Amino acid sequence: MKVFLPGTLEDLWERWEKIPNARIYAGGTDFMVKLREGAIQAPALICLERIPALTKIREEENTLFIGAGVSHAGILTHPLVQTWCPVLVEALRVLGSPLIRNMGTLGGNIATASPAGDSLPALYVLDAEVVLADARKTRVLPISDFILSPGKTSLKEREIIRGVRIPRPMPYTMSRYEKVGKRKAMAVAVASLAACLRFDTNGVVKIARLAWGSVGPTIVTASRVEKALVGFPLSRKHLEEIAPMVEEAVSPIDDIRASAVYRKKIAINLLCRLAGDSNFNGRFTP
Amino acid sequence: MSLVHARPLQIGESEPRADAPAKAAGRERYAIDFYEEGMLWAGVKRADIPHAVFDGIDVEAALKVPGVVDILTAKDITGSNRQGVARRDQPVLVDDRIRHRGDGVGLVIAENREALRTAVQRITVKATPLPGVFDFETALREDAPRIHEDHPDGNILLKGHLETGDGTAAFKACAHVVEAIFELPYQEHAYLETEAGWAVTREDGTVEITASTQTPFRDRAEIAEALGIEEERIRVIAPFCGGAFGGKDGITVQSLLALAALKYPGRPVKMWWEREESFVASAKRHRARCHYRLGAGADGRFHALAAELFYDTGPYDHLGGAVMALGLEHTGGPYRIPNTCLKAWAIYTNNPVGGAFRAFGIAQATAAMEQMVDMLAEKAGYSPLEIRRINAVNQGDKTPLGVTLQTSTGIVQCLEILQEHRMWRDRAVWKNEAGPFKKRGVGLAAVMHGMGYGPVIPDVANARIELTHDGRFQVACGVVDMGQGNASTFLQIAGDILSQDRKHLTLVLPDTARTLPSGSASASRTTYTYGNALIKATFLLRERVLKRCADLMMVSDLGELALIPGAVCHVTTEREFALGEIARVMDGNERVAVAHFRAPQSCELPDIDPNLRLHGIPHVVFSYGAHLAGVEVDLLTGDIAVKQYLAVSDCGRILNPQLFEQQVQGGIAQGLGYALMEEIPVEKGEMKTLNFSTYLLPTALDIPDMTVITAGGHEATGPYGLKGVGEMPTSGPLPAVANAVADACGIRLRHFPMTPERVLAALKKERP
Repeated sequence: MKVFLPGTLEDLWERWEKIPNARIYAGGTDFMVKLREGAIQAPALICLERIPALTKIREEENTLFIGAGVSHAGILTHPLVQTWCPVLVEALRVLGSPLIRNMGTLGGNIATASPAGDSLPALYVLDAEVVLADARKTRVLPISDFILSPGKTSLKEREIIRGVRIPRPMPYTMSRYEKVGKRKAMAVAVASLAACLRFDTNGVVKIARLAWGSVGPTIVTASRVEKALVGFPLSRKHLEEIAPMVEEAVSPIDDIRASAVYRKKIAINLLCRLAGDSNFNGRFTP
Repeated sequence: MSLVHARPLQIGESEPRADAPAKAAGRERYAIDFYEEGMLWAGVKRADIPHAVFDGIDVEAALKVPGVVDILTAKDITGSNRQGVARRDQPVLVDDRIRHRGDGVGLVIAENREALRTAVQRITVKATPLPGVFDFETALREDAPRIHEDHPDGNILLKGHLETGDGTAAFKACAHVVEAIFELPYQEHAYLETEAGWAVTREDGTVEITASTQTPFRDRAEIAEALGIEEERIRVIAPFCGGAFGGKDGITVQSLLALAALKYPGRPVKMWWEREESFVASAKRHRARCHYRLGAGADGRFHALAAELFYDTGPYDHLGGAVMALGLEHTGGPYRIPNTCLKAWAIYTNNPVGGAFRAFGIAQATAAMEQMVDMLAEKAGYSPLEIRRINAVNQGDKTPLGVTLQTSTGIVQCLEILQEHRMWRDRAVWKNEAGPFKKRGVGLAAVMHGMGYGPVIPDVANARIELTHDGRFQVACGVVDMGQGNASTFLQIAGDILSQDRKHLTLVLPDTARTLPSGSASASRTTYTYGNALIKATFLLRERVLKRCADLMMVSDLGELALIPGAVCHVTTEREFALGEIARVMDGNERVAVAHFRAPQSCELPDIDPNLRLHGIPHVVFSYGAHLAGVEVDLLTGDIAVKQYLAVSDCGRILNPQLFEQQVQGGIAQGLGYALMEEIPVEKGEMKTLNFSTYLLPTALDIPDMTVITAGGHEATGPYGLKGVGEMPTSGPLPAVANAVADACGIRLRHFPMTPERVLAALKKERP
């Protein structure tokens, strides 16, 4: 099988024109697994990892642009990302292993569109937009519109993900990503929660953004739950009261990794953890 | 004096592993690494049906694949077409019945791997399905489908029933009795190097098989019988294994490769199972059910034990009888229990094949027994440490089987050292430091493990050492090094006796044509048995070399001579003869010394079922360990984090502390995988995890720093006082972690491993 490594976007479009059925990949951490399984067949592969236009992180007016080809390791060590979106850093820190984080890219994690993709809950709470491009034009979609279902996205034929745009975030008091897996590294999320919260000086929640992974066909958000948090301090008691709303919002499945019942329970319990953290770890004192 | 400043290798020192540089640099060639010009690829079509009458295969479409050379079936086999160690019941290729999904039905030979893969997919299996046997209850029913029509005991491969004292009647006299059932999962060996090798038929008609195997000499006999050729025509070469853990204790690719190579003389044939095939076709740690009842007096002394152990051996023996027997022997652990009623069964099913796996049947028994001990301690009001100390055996005591412990017995010392360790002493403080939504607990386990083959099968090694013309000592090692480092230890032994450094020592790895039969790399016997033989052989050669050198120097007293790296030197005059010079005056036979060692065997229990004795009951030398696990349970997710681990071991004298530590740490890591995450769900004989995406092994983050301590014993029969360490540590982690979880949250699981989901469900039950 032939593998092409274009050095510019122009080279990419030209090559793709010549081999329309070629498949695109970047880090290959998901792609190669599918290729070996025979789930992907292609006459040729085109790898995006050597295109500099895809590997930039930069501030653009009121947004942060992260190129689709930046590795997870490259993102989580970047000072701009650390300042703008600590929740994304937390998420990428527990993605795969050091090897996977060095190879895998943000664009790849989005394109795979797995409900267990570790970057996705963070991108949802950050209201990230996906920048798409083909040979002629670019377009922008909110991440929640871009991802349609497991493995399915709005990516059109001969279009690539160029990167994501993250609006300047609210000054959150707490940014958390917790993943429950079946082991402590190299684990697919059984359930996960990205949470960004802002409290007032009395510990009352002013803004809450939440997104769950692995408890539905795509990332689950629940504005009802977010609204219910606002106006109250983050207490275990209050969280238990709103637990039924979480239960309603999520629609997990049984699979080889966990049962739906367990996933549902965890989706609620991960919220409870926030209360524990806010009370105990000193980052926030109500 | 010699210019060589080399330091001779020494027993007791952490000498760097002799195999490390080549392995670290990627130069070492494993069985999987051989490629030859004009090489053929061979691969197996698997049945993918759990139980059926086999009606043949349709190969028409497969033969049309370009590059396919041939497709062989059982019809091409002229021998017995049966393999196995105790009971030869496993076909090389299915001839009458399909008995599990991984059974091989056809052997494809192709010019390249792509053609091989395509052809294997295009073969269709013709079969008439039979009702399957997938659980113990069904297997043991009178009207159950029989997996081997010719087996007189139906679906019971082997059973054992041993009683001591008053048996179950003794429970009447117990002040405290606890009872529980534990279900233990399959465990996959998950070696890096999957089953692989290559074979070629040479011009003289010899079939040369290079395979990743723990058992080259036994393989040779099995291949010969299965394929119907003379043993002398078969040569088996066993390079370092890329992991084995018991999974290569028996035939994997060997007979298939020989079959292909015999059909195409002169052409090398290679076979390399992919990970998924390895899962489907290889043996696993036996799934087991352990039903225990343990009783003690008001003084905390164990009085009665009744246990029933069920091992699912799948459709073939594959050492399943021996696994069951070793589990049965260790049912009661390292304790004095005067009245016992112990029963065990190895049961045929249409599930995946159960076979040898590090800690061979004992892992399951220990998982149950050590939890029973904690349950009893709680009921009787003793601390887990106290109850173990009260009941632990000493040399001269009888085991729960009624066998007198005649050799070194250090479990009490292990427990005493553990008791003084800060992890035990400071446990209350440590437990209080758990964060929000977390609970901490500390758990113990005491472990024992018998070494070698038991009372009937001779447990023998034959060492060979040679002084070569280039002035080096060459150890020909007939027992495999599968990664545990025994080959390196053999050089250390020879180096110590001959005062040689690493440079003047070389190694011949197991090869039926170049080394002597020394049994399997298994049963924690390798260094013990071969080491004892090698010490004898090395002293023989040492004396011969010194005498010849004394003649050359015209010296009469050997006491005037000393071996130094690369030479023999006269101590007063400092005259020297290089080893190469001495070698050249010696005759070929004179430069070689061989010696034989047979391990001691127990004479006890002469009247039990002879079949149990044949399968290894009882043993005479045992290693011991006391383990401590400190865990933190996440009450929100059920996740268990093992935060600290201590293992104190009595493995006799330690020849190389670094290798000892590696063995114990590796055993703990494998045991923690068994405790926390490794399992293969099987439905109607079909495994639901076929690779490492869903079959999870612990990562570096799942394993804590491990503290490994030796209790410092000395085994009189061992080489320099050593006992085996390879397997014993593997049995400790599951019960130690389970006891720690019970200590933390008061829960005990029936089903293992202790996944977060199971733990959370148990927590919910505990506090609604």
